[in-house]
Amino acid sequence: MAVEAGSSAVTKSRAAASVRSSDRKSVGRVGRAVFFGFALFYFCVPMAAVLIYSFATRWTANVLPDGYTLDWWRATLADPRIQSAFFTSISLASLTAILDIAVVVPAAYWSRVRNARIRPVVEVAAAVPFALPYVVIAFGLMQFSGVVAPQFQGTFPLLVAGHSAIAFPFVYWAVDGAMAAAGIERLTETAEACGASPYQALMRVVLPNISAGLVTGGLLSFAASFGEFAMAQIIGRSLDTVPLWSAEMIRSYTDTAGSYNRLAVVTLLTFAVLFVLSALVVYWNRGQTVRLLPGAGASDQGGRQ
Amino acid sequence: MKMATLSRPYEKLGGLESTGGSAAPSPIARTRGWLAAWLPAIPLLLLVATCLIAPVVMLVWQSVTGMGETGLSLDLWFRVLGQHANQDAILTSLVLAAACATVTLVLGAPLAWMISRMLRGKRAFWLGLLNVSANFGGIGLAFAYMATIGTVGMLTLIVQGLGIGFEAPREGSMPALLMAYEYTNVPLFVLLTIPAMSILRDDWWEAAQVSSATRLVFWRRIGVPILSPFLLAGWLLIFTWTLGIYGIAYGLAGQSGATAVHLITLQIGSALQSDVLLGPGRAAILAVVLMLFASTSLVLYRLLLRRATRWL
Repeated sequence: MAVEAGSSAVTKSRAAASVRSSDRKSVGRVGRAVFFGFALFYFCVPMAAVLIYSFATRWTANVLPDGYTLDWWRATLADPRIQSAFFTSISLASLTAILDIAVVVPAAYWSRVRNARIRPVVEVAAAVPFALPYVVIAFGLMQFSGVVAPQFQGTFPLLVAGHSAIAFPFVYWAVDGAMAAAGIERLTETAEACGASPYQALMRVVLPNISAGLVTGGLLSFAASFGEFAMAQIIGRSLDTVPLWSAEMIRSYTDTAGSYNRLAVVTLLTFAVLFVLSALVVYWNRGQTVRLLPGAGASDQGGRQ
Repeated sequence: MKMATLSRPYEKLGGLESTGGSAAPSPIARTRGWLAAWLPAIPLLLLVATCLIAPVVMLVWQSVTGMGETGLSLDLWFRVLGQHANQDAILTSLVLAAACATVTLVLGAPLAWMISRMLRGKRAFWLGLLNVSANFGGIGLAFAYMATIGTVGMLTLIVQGLGIGFEAPREGSMPALLMAYEYTNVPLFVLLTIPAMSILRDDWWEAAQVSSATRLVFWRRIGVPILSPFLLAGWLLIFTWTLGIYGIAYGLAGQSGATAVHLITLQIGSALQSDVLLGPGRAAILAVVLMLFASTSLVLYRLLLRRATRWL
């Protein structure tokens, strides 16, 4: 009897609790929906505004533009200066990615199979562009090159070197992670047991096994260089990259020659390039776990996975 | 750590080659051993030394020698830091970075938590969207801001069209910069902290419920203490990165001309372009100041993460 009464009291209180918690749950659900709705709005509206701007004839007074046109797209794509800016940016970014892969892969490989003392040196170096603003590095590079090699100041090669220096950590982290995942120490031992030279082992055994890391690192450094503005402005002022062109347009104050509409087109194009790159990175790394915050002992995390 | 033990057998390869059992290696053999150990890393180390380390060292050196004119003295430091505009820039940068990082934390932490607990398809959608936004930066973002809530931006026009007297914040003002920065900061923060969210296991919430804890108690006693080192680390990263943002600020501040806020990065840029007073010297000091802030907060970040990952 006593037991029964006790159990009914428990059911009652449990029922009350479940009513209360379902109330709270629905409040939570509404709150969550509002929160995510706001986030969606916040992330999408600026892109929509740029998109509409690129098709607008005149847009200063009404909620929507006065009219729509394809002229800006046509004019922008045909503009020789914009074409050459894209050409400069794409070659700059490609060379940066190639140079980074060429210098990072041997170093990362050697630090894993021969000389572990390379690792701490490279990791400290990788923390520099991660922590210091590009403005600071760019200004330092300008001062340094002014003393050591003034003939290189403001030139394309100097900007390639500068971009490679700030983008190399992306390549290093991607390549090193891929090397850890592929277990290249063992692969190398096996290759060498079969009589391969270190060079043969690297080219024919290691590289095919870390291709995902190479692609990821290359794409990330390409993206970093393609969208980079501070260093391009400070050490490559005579050049005409896409971000430098955009900066000139946004500072032109008046919208007389449709410069803002053309800027909208270029912004969308730049954005499309970066979007495709990041989609490719995601595609190449599908199914892999993301590591914790960068610099959090990336090698330990990589080893554990 | 694991790597170090694995590669130890090879580590002294050069040494073994050169000593051949005897105690004193010849200098040539020692050089060869050194080369065998370091040669493949030399291109990378050269790039890093000439394009990262030397420039930074050079800036510090120039700042304490008055751009090589005064010999070792802090004279330039006093002159630059004594200028009101520079003090203003340093203070504004710090306040803006702290405000941005805090807003990012407040918005980003719940977002990261909720996304980490979503079903797969929905989560992929949000991660994709965040990835896209995190990639949107620099001049492009500055322009997108103007087109959205600038003086003639889309939202501004819509709100005014509804008959509400609405004045958009000036493009170069603090609130405007904050809103524009958040566009990339929040996604970055979420993407960085989502992996940490998996540390908090679902059974713990169930265990807490069995012990009749409310959601609030669960978060106060278990959730926040475990996640806080990661969240604080994220805060520090956003703080550091916000201090160094240049492109967005350059694009937006240009719209407001002389009334725009003073930021360290903008001051460095303008000191390079047109400064009759102290010129590059001013930029050097400000760059070193920025460097000090950034490296301090990176050291704190490392310490925090070391503490946080100890429990994993």
